[in-house]
Amino acid sequence: MLELRNLSVRYGAVRALEGVSLQAVPGGITAILGANGAGKSSLMRAISGIAPVAAGQVLLDGQDITTLPPPVRARLGVAHAMEGRRLFRQLTVEDNLKLAWSFGARREKLAASLAEVYARFPILETKARTAAGLLSGGQQQMLILSCTTIRSPRFLLLDEPSLGLAPIIVQQIYGFITNYAAQSGIVVMIAEQMATLALRVSHQGLVLRRGRVVLAGAGEELLRGNDGKTLAASYL
Amino acid sequence: MDDFFFSLLLAGISVGAVYALIALGLNLTFWTTKTLNFGQGSLMMLCAMLTVFLSSQGLAAALAVLGSLVLVAALGMFIERWTVRPALTSSGGSMGWVVSTLGFGIFLQGMAAKYFGSQAMAFPDLVFTAQDFVTLFGQYVSLQYLVVLAVAVALILTFEIFVRCTVWGHAVHAVSLDPELALVQGIPVRRLILGSFMLSSILAGVAGVLIAQIGGTVDPAFGFDLVLLGFVAAVLGGMGSSLGALVGGLLVGVISKLVGGYVSTAAEHGIAFALLMLALAVRPQGLFGRPEVSKA
Ligand SMILES: Nc1ncnc2c1ncn2[C@@H]1O[C@H](COP(=O)(O)OP(=O)(O)O)[C@@H](O)[C@H]1O
Ligand SMILES: [Mg+2]
Repeated sequence: MLELRNLSVRYGAVRALEGVSLQAVPGGITAILGANGAGKSSLMRAISGIAPVAAGQVLLDGQDITTLPPPVRARLGVAHAMEGRRLFRQLTVEDNLKLAWSFGARREKLAASLAEVYARFPILETKARTAAGLLSGGQQQMLILSCTTIRSPRFLLLDEPSLGLAPIIVQQIYGFITNYAAQSGIVVMIAEQMATLALRVSHQGLVLRRGRVVLAGAGEELLRGNDGKTLAASYL
Repeated sequence: MDDFFFSLLLAGISVGAVYALIALGLNLTFWTTKTLNFGQGSLMMLCAMLTVFLSSQGLAAALAVLGSLVLVAALGMFIERWTVRPALTSSGGSMGWVVSTLGFGIFLQGMAAKYFGSQAMAFPDLVFTAQDFVTLFGQYVSLQYLVVLAVAVALILTFEIFVRCTVWGHAVHAVSLDPELALVQGIPVRRLILGSFMLSSILAGVAGVLIAQIGGTVDPAFGFDLVLLGFVAAVLGGMGSSLGALVGGLLVGVISKLVGGYVSTAAEHGIAFALLMLALAVRPQGLFGRPEVSKA
């Protein structure tokens, strides 16, 4: 289980996250929603260890990891697909995958892991020797997702996986995420601005506004809107 | 080919290979932190001086070199921890490392002058003496030059294989491209940075010993010009490129020796900086500098 207790993130005077608590269980998808600047990325970065935590705790299966450096958290099974399509752009597709595998859990042999990725996204095999920076947006997102799953993570954080992609590609990406979450039974967290998109596949959702939780509940409930507080209003 | 030209060429290639080693050391810390250790010259000097000192205490030449390299590697860690890291993490300008690494180098130079004296010391013959030679294509070729060339080239190749073919080499490359992404992917960036400063210092130490072997003497001021020449080689070849370091080093070595031989020895080192200015004007990314791969 992934648990946040009263987590606050500050960049100097900027309060990006204020007292956020959350529990995410294995086998479930948690949607982190909110407008641009709401604090979604800060929340994820605090979990993977690259945001300044001012107060509160991050726990993985009960273990407090708040002060551990990012590579140690990665070794504990945290995989974070950062926003902005972060890849080693000069390295080839295959080198990106190899590197991710090398510093991951290595539950399977490299060849088998690569074969699995290529079976899922054949276009990545075709482009195996191409620099990652030269792929199309959709292909890059497939590679980013594959770089996280090839590490056999236990906690998967996906920051705006749909951003800037054509609707048909978004569908494909979300199909993959839903399947992977169901099969692997790990903790999955998705940050999105497009609330309905993420909520449709999520078991629980959490809406942030200026760093605070303004709405939380089961995915279904949030989609339909409960006790007059509609999802749309919380974005205003 | 006339003898004079041939001997200049060989000398140029030998020292050029050593400049390439220095450039490689500069590249290494540039990859991991985008900083250069300008104290490298002092590490070269210190390594050579310590070798002289240890072998004067009766230590075998190989052990003296090894001991000096260990000490220089430790200093490399110290430099990262106490001169580079504070400069990078402090708020305000991020160019503090230029002054702090250079300052630490000057400090080392001062310490060496205090404890070893500022007189030039004779450097012991490690493998061959200056009089040993073989005949190649009817030319006398100094064995010392050949050994220096062989050691430098072997190290450069080993380094290149490490960077290209090992996971750790790829990890270093990854850190140079996106340190934050490397961190969240579980690459121990801190340890790699520390390692890069150690390895860079060892390369500097080896370069110092090799140059001292060719020159025959060392003094505390030794190394200062050399690191600048290594810097010219690195920029000429393209900062961060290993092949560039090699070609840049050889170019600087050969051209400066030829100018020294045919024009004037006074111009020998100056010409390197003329080359630097020319390169910066014509091709600022260096001969093998790679443009960014990106697509919006
Ligand atoms: N590195 C940073 N330095 C200063 N402020 C930042 C930094 N990163 C984010 N912020 C600020 O923190 C707030 C939350 O940002 P972020 O977590 O990126 O939100 P979101 O991902 O929901 O768009 C914003 O006001 C943003 O400007
Ligand atoms: Mg964001």
